[in-house]
Amino acid sequence: MSASSINTELLERAVGKLPSDLLMPQRMRALTRFAESGFPTTRHEDWRYTNLAPAIDLSNLWLLEAADGAADEPRSDASRHYAAELASTVDAHWIVIANGVVQKDLLTRLTAQQLPGLEAVSVAAGNVVQPVFSILAEEPMTRFNTALLRDALHISIGAGHEPDKPLGLLVIDDASSGSAVSQTRIILDVATNARAEVIEYHASIGSHGHFANVVTELKLAQDAAVDYVRIQNRDRAHFQVGKLITRLGRNASMRHAAFDLGGALVRNDVAVDIAEPRASIELHGLYLADGKQHIDNHTRVDHRVGPAKSREEYRGILSDRARCVWNGKAIVHAGADGTDAHQANYNLLLSDKAEIDTKPELEIYADDVKCSHGATVGQLDKAALFYLRSRGLERDEAAQVLTRAFAAAIVAKSTVDNVRGHVETLIDRRLQDLVGGASR
Amino acid sequence: MLEIKNLKARIGDTEILTGLTLTVNPGEVHAIMGPNGSGKSTLALVIAGHEDYVVTGGSVQYMGRNLLEMDPEERARIGVFLGFQYPVEIAGVNNAYLLKAALNAKRRTHGEPEVDAFEFLKLAREKMALLEMDQALLNRGVNEGFSGGEKKRNEILQMAVLEPRLAILDETDSGLDIDALKAVAKGVNSLRDPGRAIVLVTHYQRLLDYVEPDFVHVLSGGRIIRSGDKSLAIQLEEKGYDWVREVANA
Repeated sequence: MSASSINTELLERAVGKLPSDLLMPQRMRALTRFAESGFPTTRHEDWRYTNLAPAIDLSNLWLLEAADGAADEPRSDASRHYAAELASTVDAHWIVIANGVVQKDLLTRLTAQQLPGLEAVSVAAGNVVQPVFSILAEEPMTRFNTALLRDALHISIGAGHEPDKPLGLLVIDDASSGSAVSQTRIILDVATNARAEVIEYHASIGSHGHFANVVTELKLAQDAAVDYVRIQNRDRAHFQVGKLITRLGRNASMRHAAFDLGGALVRNDVAVDIAEPRASIELHGLYLADGKQHIDNHTRVDHRVGPAKSREEYRGILSDRARCVWNGKAIVHAGADGTDAHQANYNLLLSDKAEIDTKPELEIYADDVKCSHGATVGQLDKAALFYLRSRGLERDEAAQVLTRAFAAAIVAKSTVDNVRGHVETLIDRRLQDLVGGASR
Repeated sequence: MLEIKNLKARIGDTEILTGLTLTVNPGEVHAIMGPNGSGKSTLALVIAGHEDYVVTGGSVQYMGRNLLEMDPEERARIGVFLGFQYPVEIAGVNNAYLLKAALNAKRRTHGEPEVDAFEFLKLAREKMALLEMDQALLNRGVNEGFSGGEKKRNEILQMAVLEPRLAILDETDSGLDIDALKAVAKGVNSLRDPGRAIVLVTHYQRLLDYVEPDFVHVLSGGRIIRSGDKSLAIQLEEKGYDWVREVANA
């Protein structure tokens, strides 16, 4: 076995230790396929800049225990505390997934409220529909997710319904009693003409290593509209690979804003499939990185039919030796006339040792389209910095004011009001670290 | 209040100030005139503490303290104000926010309590009325999308709110139409005070019709080659800068 590839034998044994429930056939299929592909490596074009070796090493370590069935059953006291704190700060219908397992008490409480049109179930609890995993099967990281899945959360919002508050999905992982690997799976079905605000919140705690592999699948039926905010606030020593896949029905619209604030090694993939006309997607994101953080955001929008609109803007602020990657791909397939696609990525480097690899990509196979893209990498505007200082603001304060203004452009695009104040607080806190680090 | 002695400064390899000496006392209004490239803006930026300029000789004392040792923010807080020739646009930073942060930074330095939002708004609105400024500019980004005249008025607004002891206004008159010029002059005149000094850096004599200087200095080749009262400005307007150079070289 070469360095940094998964120990398949241990993996098989670990899968075998999971309960033989509804998910088992899917796990076994995914395991077979994953054994063929393994983890993506930097030889794959899409993974050129992100080396998963540390996450693979951690997985192998964890598998040593998991193969004997000794891997920790999620311990959730600390997670519970975190969840309670968050719920008191951000008003939403919270559901908690701790170390990959849907917390039944909160689910029960939510179900008891009998919100019209809203249904949320744990797949492991057995009372479930056939999960729609198949379209994801070809992704190595998704196979890994399915193979080791303990549970999945399935939420549906019925036709014409709109929950009275945002749905909060807290994905929390606790590595306080030992290194851990967790698989989280969320499926969200939004029916015709339904609307929802969703907060997907990633956090982790504990001093041991952790690797989270999260897959979220979103289906929007005709005329459905979803405002989606993703906040990644993991411990700065932990790893995450996240995948969000979205299918948009006719005239459906989705507004997405992602905030990456934590994690040591983070890779997010957002894939949007526009298979019916008049759909629209807005993808916005902000990543803040310092120390040796590595944050990679890949997005892909498939325009299969037109007319349809996609808008994308990601911004990044990097300090110290942080390394970030942004790759925004829009593919306008043959016949998708009337496509209107725009993508942009703007970066601020606060240190000359920070690095960003940015690549907007447009592939156009249709004739009648409106497409544009752009990317910039710059430093804090020296003239602006001097102007602020000449008015009495200290250097760090001035730098913070300027970085906050840069970040505010993305905060302003985040359309879930209930979480905006919290996001601003988190950003301010991180910017203090970043700016302070840059002037040290 | 301000005592500049034999000041020499360069940017990159270019020597711009070549031995400038100037004394400004409280209550005085000085005009510094000179052709393009004579070092007028450099002087203003060196006093404010711009890091691109390297001081290679001489001294700048302000209220008995060595100004050159201080960071730009420190200079600002003890009462030095530069009105920029080209105020920068800072998208996303609220104009009122900056004004309030600047005022409170100064107040903290002087051991005074910070102003609250209500007091601040009252003060800002009062000063804006004096400058005949559109109140809506308060809630825009700093200078963001402002016209040339609005930017200059905004500089004077900051000065009026911060009440500096030493105000250096760099080409504040350039690009202003006559109404804006009058409004800006009104703002400057309202701040004339026995305890405050004002230095007007200007290419033309026009502003001096509205803000009457006590002293006029002509800057050329990085130093002051002639000083006089306001009649010097009038002579300059009539005879041009070549005349001063000839007189100076004679």
